[in-house]
Amino acid sequence: MIHIKNLSKVYKTKKGTVSGVDNVSLTINEGEIFGIVGYSGAGKSSLIRCMNLLEQPTSGEIEVNGLDLTKLSGEKLRKARLKMGMIFQHFHLISQKTVGENIAFALKAANTPGKRINERVEELLEMVSLSDKKDVFPAQLSGGQKQRVGIARALANNPSVLLCDEATSALDPNTTLSILRLLKKINREFNITIVLITHEMNVVKEICDRMAVMQDGKVVEHGEVYDIFSDPQTELTKEFITSVVSFDVPKPILDACTGRILKVLFRGDVAGEGVITDTVQQFNIKGNFLHGSIEYIQERPLGLFLMELKGTDDDIYQAISYMEKRGARVEVIENGI
Amino acid sequence: MEFDVQHMIELWPEITKAFGQTLYMIGISLSVAIIIGLPLGILLFVTDKGLFLENRFVKSTFGFVVNMVRSIPFIILLVALFPLTQIIVGTTVGPLAASVALSVAAIPFFARIVETSLREIDKGVIEAAVAVGATPWMIIKDVLLPEAKSSIVQGITLTIISLVAYSAMAGIIGGGGIGDLAIRFGYYRYDDTIMIVTVVILIILVQLIQQIGDWTSKAIDKR
Repeated sequence: MIHIKNLSKVYKTKKGTVSGVDNVSLTINEGEIFGIVGYSGAGKSSLIRCMNLLEQPTSGEIEVNGLDLTKLSGEKLRKARLKMGMIFQHFHLISQKTVGENIAFALKAANTPGKRINERVEELLEMVSLSDKKDVFPAQLSGGQKQRVGIARALANNPSVLLCDEATSALDPNTTLSILRLLKKINREFNITIVLITHEMNVVKEICDRMAVMQDGKVVEHGEVYDIFSDPQTELTKEFITSVVSFDVPKPILDACTGRILKVLFRGDVAGEGVITDTVQQFNIKGNFLHGSIEYIQERPLGLFLMELKGTDDDIYQAISYMEKRGARVEVIENGI
Repeated sequence: MEFDVQHMIELWPEITKAFGQTLYMIGISLSVAIIIGLPLGILLFVTDKGLFLENRFVKSTFGFVVNMVRSIPFIILLVALFPLTQIIVGTTVGPLAASVALSVAAIPFFARIVETSLREIDKGVIEAAVAVGATPWMIIKDVLLPEAKSSIVQGITLTIISLVAYSAMAGIIGGGGIGDLAIRFGYYRYDDTIMIVTVVILIILVQLIQQIGDWTSKAIDKR
């Protein structure tokens, strides 16, 4: 659906050239929500802005719906953009026009007949739950409401793709959640492919199907969100995951532990099977939880526990292999065997 | 310095006539400045680097012409434009003739003001319009002008007040007007009464224009 091939974007500055996006290739499937995470300056913003040619890539191809956008210009590019919605961190609504007029603007761009514009504006406002705000100016809306107007405008012409440029970064956590739910609803109901960039791992965890992690203009890791959360490959990805699933145990507590400290990870259904209870019952060991949580990613549980095991080396060794046999992944992180 | 009420009443028809001429010259030159200067200012903005109608040639050509006209002192422009004035209005004297030079001076002045007003618009809003697939004309009509209108009204206020000042020089070619009256009677003839009356009228006029401008600019802003 979106094929990005060897995309590079080089910026010319007074001091020389800076590489924004460095030879990125990605495929985003139809109907999925794809998240791109990275710190600021990682190139994710340049990448998403290249996807609708707000920025002209230096080299590479961007194929959307079978059309190579980099080969288009003028009227053809404008027509292609009608089928790609975009929302922004700071909403970018026309401040001197009402909510209804802002949405109508997008419809006019697609030459929608006047009568149809009114109907469609009402429809869109209802979809984003702002039916009563049609004649209000953006200045009178809250951040979340402004973003809803942004979403309504972006979806006005029934696009196949919605690009979200840090769409929730200016919002508080509750509002972020409600916007994410709305995006998910739109994705499911209209089968719109959503590409979002963010520096908040929570956003990805909440709604994305697949994700990519960017650093220095390159994609360093990509795949299913669940797989990346349960088995991150790069240090950077681990860092991002820590922001959502943190396992900081105060040092005095760790120091007070006399047994072995294990990090146990359960994927999918295993998380609910009581493996740890079984283990402690079957072997001559004592278990002690230090930290633990079950995260639900794409409605699949991912259990992560930090525990202390006390017993003979042999018993502990057997207990670990038993847990591994049951599908857990065990890592001894201190006082290891 | 003394103020002679009798003298003022005697010359009152002269004063009202001059006031009418001032409004006449400003009216014409402001209209021309808006009709030509507004599109010119928009052109200077949208052809700038990174904007949706980026065009270096157009930008630098028009930019050069605008700067050139603006760098000529108004008195010189007034005289240098005689041939053009002759063609357009058929004479080189009178308020209408002076309006030609005032217009020529006001067009680039107002164009730069419009360009600056447009530059104040959040680039993101323009970008969002591009992303939505809007045509350049739609962006100009529905984004640039509405977003800058409050600031453009301030610019019109500034232009009118500058025109009031410039129009005083129109007396040189018999343009008339309040400023001319102040120079002819007050300055050359040491007629304090007329000097005071005209200056007071000008002060009130400028204050009024500024007040109306500020109020309008605020009233139409929806932010």
